[in-house]
Amino acid sequence: MLNFIVKRLIQIPVVMLVLSLMIVGLTQLLTPEQRAAPYIRSEQQAARLEQIIEQRGLRDPFPVQYSRWLGSTVKGDLGYSKASNQDVVTTIKERLPRTIELTIVTAIPILLLSIWLGTLSALHKDKFIDQLLRVLVVLGYSLPSFVVGILLLAVFYAYLGWLPGSGQLNVINTFALGDIKTYTGLLTVDAALNGRWDIAWDALQHMILPALTLVIVLSANIIKVMRNNMLEALTSDYVRTARAKGLSPNVVNRKHARRNALLSIVTLGGFLIIGLLGGSLITETIFAFPGVGQWVVQAAIGVDLAAVLGFAMLTAVIVVLVSTVVDILYGVIDPRVRFD
Amino acid sequence: MKKVAALATLLTLTSALAAAPKDTLVYQMSSDIPTMDPGVTYDTASGAVVENIYETLLTYSGASLTKLEPLLATKWTISNGGKTYTFDLRKGVKFHSGNAMTCADAEYTFERNLVTNSAESGNWFLAESLLGTGANAADDKTITWARIDKAVECNNAGQLVFTLPSVDPAFLAKLAFPGQSVVDQKHAAGLGEWNGKEATWKDWVGKDLTNSKLSQNPSGTGAYKLVRKDANTVLATAFDSYWGKKPALKNVIFQKVSEIAARQQAFLRGDADIIDGGGRAVDTEQVKGKPGVLWVDNLPNTSATAFFMNENIKNAGLLGSGKLDGRGIPATFFKDANVRRAFSYSFNYDQYIRDVQKGAGKQRTMLLPESFPGYDAKVSTYTYDKAKAEAFFKRAYGGQLWKNGFTLTTNYRAGSEPSQKAMEILKANVEALNPKFRVNIQAKQWSEMLKDSKDGKEAMTIMGWAPDYADPDNFMYTFYSSNGYYNPRLNWKDSQIDKWLDQARATVNTAERNRLYSLVGKKAYEQAPYILVPAGVGYTFVSANLVGVSASNYNPMISFANTGTFWKELSKK
Repeated sequence: MLNFIVKRLIQIPVVMLVLSLMIVGLTQLLTPEQRAAPYIRSEQQAARLEQIIEQRGLRDPFPVQYSRWLGSTVKGDLGYSKASNQDVVTTIKERLPRTIELTIVTAIPILLLSIWLGTLSALHKDKFIDQLLRVLVVLGYSLPSFVVGILLLAVFYAYLGWLPGSGQLNVINTFALGDIKTYTGLLTVDAALNGRWDIAWDALQHMILPALTLVIVLSANIIKVMRNNMLEALTSDYVRTARAKGLSPNVVNRKHARRNALLSIVTLGGFLIIGLLGGSLITETIFAFPGVGQWVVQAAIGVDLAAVLGFAMLTAVIVVLVSTVVDILYGVIDPRVRFD
Repeated sequence: MKKVAALATLLTLTSALAAAPKDTLVYQMSSDIPTMDPGVTYDTASGAVVENIYETLLTYSGASLTKLEPLLATKWTISNGGKTYTFDLRKGVKFHSGNAMTCADAEYTFERNLVTNSAESGNWFLAESLLGTGANAADDKTITWARIDKAVECNNAGQLVFTLPSVDPAFLAKLAFPGQSVVDQKHAAGLGEWNGKEATWKDWVGKDLTNSKLSQNPSGTGAYKLVRKDANTVLATAFDSYWGKKPALKNVIFQKVSEIAARQQAFLRGDADIIDGGGRAVDTEQVKGKPGVLWVDNLPNTSATAFFMNENIKNAGLLGSGKLDGRGIPATFFKDANVRRAFSYSFNYDQYIRDVQKGAGKQRTMLLPESFPGYDAKVSTYTYDKAKAEAFFKRAYGGQLWKNGFTLTTNYRAGSEPSQKAMEILKANVEALNPKFRVNIQAKQWSEMLKDSKDGKEAMTIMGWAPDYADPDNFMYTFYSSNGYYNPRLNWKDSQIDKWLDQARATVNTAERNRLYSLVGKKAYEQAPYILVPAGVGYTFVSANLVGVSASNYNPMISFANTGTFWKELSKK
């Protein structure tokens, strides 16, 4: 097992290297002027375009530009992000914990709800509850996250006024942030550990609408897969055998059918986590949630190459780590799978 | 059901706390704040914070663009034929760090701006005044430490003295720019910024200060001091030791909210006092007339936009056949004034105002905002006139143009809807005059357009200018001089106009300058180097609870354009 994990961890720099070569290579398709444009903020500054290109070595040959990037990356410097107006490493350090927090708040309900509803749907195949859930799944599939987000904002924030609209905290609470000692980087947890339950509650409230948006949009696929897996499991030989042995339907459904149906959900759950940790781009943007997703959207729009590269590196690490955890979980759920 | 009701009540109670508190100004913006270092502040978003955390020597008086009043200076005298400016500095002023402001801080500030003068900054126009060139020492080897040191000094009486190589009537207005705010030398040097010494100045030439240590940890003399800046928020609070009147609002919060719908909802719910709007059409529809909204209209617009007609197109790709045979144009197509006049008569100004500016626009006589000194409303303007356009097209190139026709390719900045619409209006009207006239419109990325237009590779395009300082030279020289910033995009030269513009630069006599600018405007009308795009009428909207926002005290040169005032001038009911 340890051997397996170490092997996976070794993959990280390799994946990062290949990715960076690809991305830096792709950026060469843009002209030096296009790559310098993010540094220009007004017509007046355009007169200095050539100076900016020269200063930043944007006309240097690809190997020179790449080795310059690699050299500073090895030293832990991923460059300066125009989209966040700070260096990439600081930006990731600042924003990733917020996205992790949103991921936790989002992924747990998605997984629990999807497994429960998928199972329910399969157990009541073609009955009213199944039909209803199937309609909801189609709806969840069809609605883009920005539509769901704006709708939720309009109803729960603008119309009912039940929940806060955007940001991470109410404006006045943002002043209190400086007094909160950081232990985990997760605001709700840190605030609670500091005894600031008001801040923790406020931060949690601010995550409800973005999380709800993601739950509505991302649950559909997992519910559908869970339903199909359960239906398949319920008609399999081992379930029939279990029933024939006289086991109660509850035990058969939960211990035999659902356990096997969960296997592909683990993989899907892995993808879900990767997606959420990689930044829920649109949702974070709509709700002005200051995570990595919001940052990378701004970076992409503004041709902020340092940020795009930094984000790609972060994603590579997340993908390798999460897929390692998924493989380990596979082994736990299904003893036939072993890591040699 | 009871549980749902209880949850709803709880949520309602807690979210009631969300409304912007009475002592706090909440502004939701669409862009971010690139820097808080005055040495590189050049965009309005950064300026809106910097101008409130830091202070300049002088500032605009109320809504006036011509009258300047003391801020960190108490008075100034001009001597040596307009080449020496001596400032008395305010006593008892403290920086946020606790350090007392001295003349050495002011000297350090301007020397730092001249030394760095990075491509990202607006210090080129300070350098033009004080060194006679907009370049820094890396680009112009004649710039030495001795020249920089001599340009700005403190005399024995503790006064700040600027020595200019030649007269610059715009110099005082330039000092009102937020990028020329006085910084705290001890604090800056302590953070690792330039120490102000000759021995190290060369290390800082051209250095981009956008993310400087001072930007992250500013210390100014302004009425507000920075509390914290994070990914989406800038927090400032009133500075207790401020030398001036204590501001009414204790806190100011800038929140970045990219989505216009989210900003509008926050504004209408009272969670934000001010938001960035979505343009006149959107704001009129979504915000104007709603309860709790103060709408202020007919504000000055200080930008100028025009169609550029290039007289020396250095891009064979745009010329088609390169001849006047109906399938292209020669590189000098716009050199014939009749062509330029014909195009000027072909643009439907009223239609543009009606369709694009929703009726809130007006034609200008020159490429200078009407609120600026030097603007002459009596100069003639072009109108949409088919008959005159046809007559000038028939006169062009001895009648060859009308007989053979042309194919012109124009470019506009991709994503700019007003530019696209303007091009479409012009195209439709020109093509309607003669079936042999063809205008092809293409969208182009801004980065490419910046480069190509600078290299004279655009045949016709639309570009604008926003002022750095409230002096007519900033527009008139930029647009109309053959040495002006925009000339490479136009390649138009009129020796008489050049002479007038140089004369206007060399005198501080306002009446004389106004006369000269009027002459430039009249000659430019005749020569028609540009088609003047009507200027939109300015407007803003804020929460009706906010006091201090009105057309009478709105100054378009203040970077916080949502109110046209400094934060310290605002309060809440």
